[in-house]
Amino acid sequence: MTDPQLPDDPETSAQRREQALADTFVHLADTMVDDYDVADLLDQLVNACVNVLGVTAAGLLLDDQRGNLALVASSSQEMRLLELFQLQNNEGPCLDCVRTGAAVTSSDLDEDRDRWPLFVPAAHDAGFRSVAAVPMRLRDQIIGGLNLFMDVPRAVSTVNRRLAQALADVATIGILQQRSLHRSHVLSEQLQTALTSRIVIEQAKGILAERSNLTMEAAFAALRRYARDHNLKLTDVATAVVTAGLDPTRD
Amino acid sequence: MEDRHDRWARLLAASGPERAAQPLRICQLCVDTLAVTGAGIAMVTPTGHRGVVCATDDVSATIEDLQLTLGEGPCVDAAVTGTPVLLADLDRSSDVAVERWPAFMEGASGVGVKAVFALPLRVGAINVGVLDLYRDRPGELRADELPAALMAADAAALALLYLNADGADAFTDDHDSRAAYQLQVHQATGMVHVQAGVTIDQAFLMLRARAFAEGRSLAELAADVVARRLRFSMEDQ
Repeated sequence: MTDPQLPDDPETSAQRREQALADTFVHLADTMVDDYDVADLLDQLVNACVNVLGVTAAGLLLDDQRGNLALVASSSQEMRLLELFQLQNNEGPCLDCVRTGAAVTSSDLDEDRDRWPLFVPAAHDAGFRSVAAVPMRLRDQIIGGLNLFMDVPRAVSTVNRRLAQALADVATIGILQQRSLHRSHVLSEQLQTALTSRIVIEQAKGILAERSNLTMEAAFAALRRYARDHNLKLTDVATAVVTAGLDPTRD
Repeated sequence: MEDRHDRWARLLAASGPERAAQPLRICQLCVDTLAVTGAGIAMVTPTGHRGVVCATDDVSATIEDLQLTLGEGPCVDAAVTGTPVLLADLDRSSDVAVERWPAFMEGASGVGVKAVFALPLRVGAINVGVLDLYRDRPGELRADELPAALMAADAAALALLYLNADGADAFTDDHDSRAAYQLQVHQATGMVHVQAGVTIDQAFLMLRARAFAEGRSLAELAADVVARRLRFSMEDQ
């Protein structure tokens, strides 16, 4: 683990980032006022991490409440494969983060080969050289983790780590849908809903990818576009694709 | 936590391969291993019809029947929305539950039900039913009981899928349970649904059957489908 260093951003890029950050939080706040879709919100969050924190890729793992973690959002395919690699081999910074409930960082993965002998070579193959993972926490319970990967060896600044934690907290609140917090077991209920939504979206992506010969990314983009254009929830559009034969590529 | 997975797999494997008896065995396992009084399973068909599959006792059967008749209740909501409904104390759930399910609440308290946990049986958009657990005293599912209940629901979802699929192979042990959350499995399910021209439920079972027949993991097979190295066709049905 490396001590965080302060960034030395030039002023203009700092301003640009500040603007992007403000836009992100305003956008997330807007989303959460309405009746929103959790899967969509988490997806927006990981993409916001890439834009605002200047990382190469971001992903979000959730406790599936069966003793495993499940990947529910990722900004890139490389990221997705690497997260799955961690889950399969039961080793990696994101797992350590969720297990310990503390942020885990590696500013140069090459120096942490002993710590994660399987993960580091896999990360290298995927093009990642440094990582930061922050926990998603609700009171004393860890419900998942937000993971950031960079393609250069780099320490995450204190500011960025705090921002990442703030975004992870938004994700936690998003999953809980605060209005129903008073109900017991609500966390369990919402976690399962988020996981199911993700599966429906993947089923719909598979259908579109096959039917229209698209990549999974293009299939997801089509789902997304249709949901936005028609002011529908992403999960509802995905469900309609799977159960009612909706074709969002044909509008 | 991993050994709990194994324990469930062992319990299910030990209870034999007969498909029709699996749902009831899963319910009985819930009663034996969780501190619940009774358990029942209701089925949802693609046309929206619901039916009681099994129940471990009369009260469980009553809970199922009540909701079928009234068309309301926690299990109906769980089946429709896909979100578990966990009510640890029906007497104290008045704010939400009585408003939402007035007739069910009256009927349930009439037979001494104090807590209800309704777990949807789903694989993404594949909706097969709901597992209902009840208690004759109030109390939440403990932190170590909830994972077991969710795993029971996973097992029950598979059992019902196989039960619904005429001619599908006998219920096979799910030694690959973590694959349920590997997203490529679900992408592959969507692709096979189109390739083979079968329902999404059948596509999921075809993938599993192929993996089982070839002695490969479901995740491996799914990766081949997604990478377009492997295609299913109409003849594979």
